[in-house]
Amino acid sequence: MGESGVYAGLRILELGAGAAGPAATRYFAEQGATVIRVESSVRPDFLRLLHARPGEAVDLDAAPMFALLNPDKWSVSIDLRKPAGVELVLRLADWADVVAQNFAPGAMDKLGLGPAQLLARKPALIVVTSALFGQTGPQRHYPGFGGQGSAIAGFNHLTGWPDRESIGPYATITDSLSPRYVALLIAAALLERSRGAGGQHIDVAQIETGVYSLSELVVRCSANGESVARAGNREEGAAPHGVYPCAGDDAWIAIAVASDDEWQALVAAMGAPTWAREPRFATAAGRVAHQDDLDARLAAWTHKSGAYLLMAQLQEAGVPAGVVQHLNELLQDPQLAHRRHFVPLDHAVLGVLPYERSGFRLSASPGGFDDSGPLLGEDNDKVLGEILGLSPAEIEQLLVDDVIA
Amino acid sequence: MLSSIRTLDLCDEAGFLAGKILGDLGADVVKVEVPGGDLRGRRPPYLGGVPDPERSLAWLALNTSKRGVTLDPEPSAGRAVLQRLLDQTDVLLDTFAPGTLEAWGLGWDTMQRQYPRLVRCSITPFGQTGPHSQLLARDLVVVAMGGNASMTGDSDRPPVRCTLPTSYYHAAPEAVLGVLMALQAREASGRGQLVDVSLQECQLGTLLGGPGIYQSSPQSPRRGGARTGRTREIWPTRDGHVSFGLRGGPARVSGLRALVAWMIESDAAPAWLRDYDWERFSPATLDAAELARLEAALGAFFVAKTMRELYEGALARRILLAPCNDAREVLEHLQLRDRELFTTIEYPEFGAAIEHPAFFAKASGLSIGIRRRAPRIGEHNDEVYRALGLEREEIAKLVAEGVI
Repeated sequence: MGESGVYAGLRILELGAGAAGPAATRYFAEQGATVIRVESSVRPDFLRLLHARPGEAVDLDAAPMFALLNPDKWSVSIDLRKPAGVELVLRLADWADVVAQNFAPGAMDKLGLGPAQLLARKPALIVVTSALFGQTGPQRHYPGFGGQGSAIAGFNHLTGWPDRESIGPYATITDSLSPRYVALLIAAALLERSRGAGGQHIDVAQIETGVYSLSELVVRCSANGESVARAGNREEGAAPHGVYPCAGDDAWIAIAVASDDEWQALVAAMGAPTWAREPRFATAAGRVAHQDDLDARLAAWTHKSGAYLLMAQLQEAGVPAGVVQHLNELLQDPQLAHRRHFVPLDHAVLGVLPYERSGFRLSASPGGFDDSGPLLGEDNDKVLGEILGLSPAEIEQLLVDDVIA
Repeated sequence: MLSSIRTLDLCDEAGFLAGKILGDLGADVVKVEVPGGDLRGRRPPYLGGVPDPERSLAWLALNTSKRGVTLDPEPSAGRAVLQRLLDQTDVLLDTFAPGTLEAWGLGWDTMQRQYPRLVRCSITPFGQTGPHSQLLARDLVVVAMGGNASMTGDSDRPPVRCTLPTSYYHAAPEAVLGVLMALQAREASGRGQLVDVSLQECQLGTLLGGPGIYQSSPQSPRRGGARTGRTREIWPTRDGHVSFGLRGGPARVSGLRALVAWMIESDAAPAWLRDYDWERFSPATLDAAELARLEAALGAFFVAKTMRELYEGALARRILLAPCNDAREVLEHLQLRDRELFTTIEYPEFGAAIEHPAFFAKASGLSIGIRRRAPRIGEHNDEVYRALGLEREEIAKLVAEGVI
């Protein structure tokens, strides 16, 4: 977002793919940084292939997920298998303040683009590497996606019903959790640098960001030998605490009562039916002890109402309650609209898509997005010509040599 | 440097991790509790099962690297102490419902006039303003309103959340990012600003663009439990579950081939599976009977082995398979141990030593790690209030009045 962002003038070079890397640099693009993604058609980012079907020609510019995770970034297409391509990237590292990598550990080192090599060339650089297991340790070369990260960090085991298999929280939790840590680490390193510190290498293991976040899980196990078990939607000491059916197709409401006052508010909202006034439900301990029965009775009441109307009614009464919103309903959410969470931007192939802001707003640095995710190599001329100062003839030669590919 | 960032943490559980991250980065964080302690945040379970707020394991886990004071900011005497603290604060972290500080005469405009360099980071369910800003919500409600729950859970049961409050965990690093951005901006402007964090909006980040990806679909995708799309993702083993995406695409082919090779080695591959064409494997269009046959063969192989056998085999063969670790398995995970992710903190008054995750990254130029154990109730009252210039008699008076 041009000049108004906190990071206007900041230069980030991104060597990565998938979600975990690009989601991290997006926060800086939102605040005005120039983020250049190095990619290529010979080894495309797999997000550019997710929409592809076997037997059909692939359009690398037609992948919604890639576009949505990369707004306001520039794309330069360089074949890193060619020495001349590596040389171009080194020159871009000379230009950059931050280099963000999330390829498999060692892959960039083999090309001479690893953290140590880049820092030797330019000590002021902030180089951040993000990998499932980090850059060291016996399992660092273990290949995997966020789905495996979520399982290893413990999220899957904690999600689901006690009598059923462990399932993952939707999408790949370490893919969305770790970029937040990568971004704050870059921000911390930049703040230190603006106060006189030098460059550095930051080694993020995506799984470790998950385990760190689950500190309570680790501490409870170490202290009491407890392995926290998945409990559906229940919470220790609180009831009713669950998701209840509403009128309509796959319509649900979450109700999280954590005090006797909130329970009384719920009873009043229900019109104080006889069952709800039974003494066994009057205290939290009683409600927890009779939770199955409580949930069944509450569900019999909620299922008569529409979810949004019921939320309004319960909130009015002072009961924490919220609709289980489907993905398409989020696009209509008035609160998200108020925060301008979705930014409609036009993309040459995909048309207008709702690009998403981060989870916070800065009162004096509004930030935002101006451009959709880039087409592959869309910014080749700008990057090679304006930034690296190559002549049209030199760029032409790189094309002929398939270095730009 | 980060160690010079003075942070006042007035958060409930929704913001515990944010203050911890700042503290573990080296910032000076003072946690403020009401007199008698934050009994809601110091919730069960307790160390050794002894009900005592000082033994709350959630508290001990999420408040490391903070000093602790007690203060009731509601009465005017408490408000005065809070304002003296704010005089010496760079970052105020809070989870007050929108309107609370305003009612105390400390709305953002006033606050910014009085403390122009102050960064305030507010973490609320839906944000400071807007039609839902006054709605009541805890983790479960946030996960519901944020879209993730609709996609999580078995198709024949209600949507579910993760059993620990993950919406707080997603928001915490994002809140810290916002704080660091505001501090960066302050380097140039000399002025602080308000960082308005919405737990709901942070939840949307977990969808990785989902609303946009499916905006033109006639119907939003539905939760599939152990399945992702049409194929199984979570598989029973002899002693638990593993995650293995039976998905197509070039990134998966070599792992699928390696799995079949392993099954052949183990004499567990039916003849038809031996030279299966994974290049052309496309779960979206695959015939249902064919899919069932594939899943039955793989499932029989997995269920005969333990999670550990499967993971070790996967590591050796570069198969994209992972154990669904429980807490103990996380603590014992070899790779995490090798990187020394866990550190032991002594709690001598309880005769206990507890392992904590020690860091969220390794960095050559940032010192990341636990600086001190979580504070006891009012542990640093004297230290903090004396440094603020309060005399012993004043402190005693405030204690007597129940303000601290």
